[in-house]
Amino acid sequence: MTLHPITVRIREFLIEHFPSARKHPLTEDDHLLANGIVDSLGVLDLVAYLEREFNIAVGDDDLVPEHFESLRRLTAFVQDRMSVGSR
Amino acid sequence: MDFLIHHMLQASARRHSAKEALVHAEERLAYDDVARRVSGLATGLREAGLERGDRIGIYLDASVPQVLSIFGVSQAGGVYVPVNGLLFPDQVAFIARDCGMKGLITTPEKLAPLAQALKEVPSLEFVVLVGGFGLVDSPLAVHDFEACCALPPPSPWREQAIEKDLAAILYTSGSTGKPKGVMLSHAQVMAGSSIVSAYLRITEADRILAVLPFSFDAGMNQLMTAFQQGATLILINFVFAREVVRTLLRERVTGLAGVPTFWSLLAQPTSGLQKQPLPDLRYLTNTGGAMPQTVLATLRSLLPSTDIFLMYGLTEAFRSTYLPPEELAYRPTSIGKAIPDTEILVINEHGGLCKPGEVGELVHRGPTVSLGYWGHPELTAKVLRPNPLLPPELADVVCYSGDYVKMDEEGYLYFVGRRDAMIKSSGFRISPTEVEEVLFRSGRLKGAAVIGLPDEVLGQSIKALVVVRDGEPLDPAQLREFCAANMPRHMVPKVIEVLDDLPKTPSGKVDYPALRRREGL
Repeated sequence: MTLHPITVRIREFLIEHFPSARKHPLTEDDHLLANGIVDSLGVLDLVAYLEREFNIAVGDDDLVPEHFESLRRLTAFVQDRMSVGSR
Repeated sequence: MDFLIHHMLQASARRHSAKEALVHAEERLAYDDVARRVSGLATGLREAGLERGDRIGIYLDASVPQVLSIFGVSQAGGVYVPVNGLLFPDQVAFIARDCGMKGLITTPEKLAPLAQALKEVPSLEFVVLVGGFGLVDSPLAVHDFEACCALPPPSPWREQAIEKDLAAILYTSGSTGKPKGVMLSHAQVMAGSSIVSAYLRITEADRILAVLPFSFDAGMNQLMTAFQQGATLILINFVFAREVVRTLLRERVTGLAGVPTFWSLLAQPTSGLQKQPLPDLRYLTNTGGAMPQTVLATLRSLLPSTDIFLMYGLTEAFRSTYLPPEELAYRPTSIGKAIPDTEILVINEHGGLCKPGEVGELVHRGPTVSLGYWGHPELTAKVLRPNPLLPPELADVVCYSGDYVKMDEEGYLYFVGRRDAMIKSSGFRISPTEVEEVLFRSGRLKGAAVIGLPDEVLGQSIKALVVVRDGEPLDPAQLREFCAANMPRHMVPKVIEVLDDLPKTPSGKVDYPALRRREGL
């Protein structure tokens, strides 16, 4: 199965910056938060990356587990914000 | 008479049997429920083979079973060894080997990646698994946590330990080498709990949110003070500071302890703290490094009715000083004065007392001085030494902290720096040599030195200076990736710089002060 290009880019970032993302092959539905792959400091790096890489604005109210739970959720969130930006 | 850690729980269960003791997400346990399950677990651990003084590892994330395990091991007569859930399999196996661990309480998910490394731990006889054990294929005896908790304890319970016995081993890093296990007796843990409860005025009315791990002495003390006083302890697994603020509000939390990095997260606008008055939050305490002044100012303005206690402690002496909140406006950079029933001496290099303003080593004397490092009497002897101010025949032992401080005219203390190269980042003590060892393991280097740089959020960030083996090009990003794959995130260097050579001292060792000067420090 091919991954969405956004998923691929976020996945590469996670693998490069978060050591425990490498313990197993990281799938779209792996729990990033509950499994401690992304911690509270890491999430700040991740947000900065998303804003820079996809030119989106992540608001205070966006910082909820639902958006960051998995690669699939992150991709949907980024897609949503990108469409907001282009409207 | 309460003289063992689990006696604090049992006493609170007698006084407030139906009161809420422990909260984790949707789980709410009353004191009598906690005490009953702890007794069951203690029974199960003894049946599994735990004998007095055996070390039992607890490798779990913040959860109800984690709390039950700490008290269950105590009641069974064992020694609990809380292992930070962030550690990698090799590090967990190191701790297990170092303390001669007999049993390990963990989950099937955490056990699976560990299984290989645990084969190198000959002392390990059994595991107790939280959340399903049918699927695990292990050469060790496997027990089910919930089944243990449901066991009826024999009556009367046969107590084995006394307060001088070892209760806990907390692993922490120093300036060199591998982590070391700091040994705490029941009496020491309970003294720490009584002392902190006294100056924070913790009572049964308090609701304490535990955000620090129990593998860290200050984190463990949240649990101990809560259960000693019959208060309520709330557990949380969080990634977003916003989740902490929501929990503070929803659970009407009255007390919160954190490290500087945690407060930096909480003080950010995204936490939602500024939108949300927290009238129930009676106090907060900082430990594990200095809180950045900007963060302190933000918290003071956002939480006008909350008392802020700046504290200082090191695992080897458990808790040492605190600054009373009413002094905060006058000396916001002070670590305060000695905690009750404790004496803090500032000792110069000749073993005498420093005058006000003179820099010396912080030396701690009191009932929370630990028993030293498990298996390392020579290292213990460097840290726990005879009191230089008393006649030797009194055999009074004090703890040399390795921290340089000075005292002002009114007796308030100020942190100046470390005697050694130990790095403190996001509340973790990190030994430069442990990071250097991993760097060398890449096989690409002939030299490596790790130093700490000041960092507003982390306290210190880690910088590695490396020298590549002759003629080989090196991409620092690749080396960083290697580090990230081989150690927990808090130990991975933020910056790696390649040098032609490392500065050396006349004796040929790496000249760390020269490296720090190079960074303008």
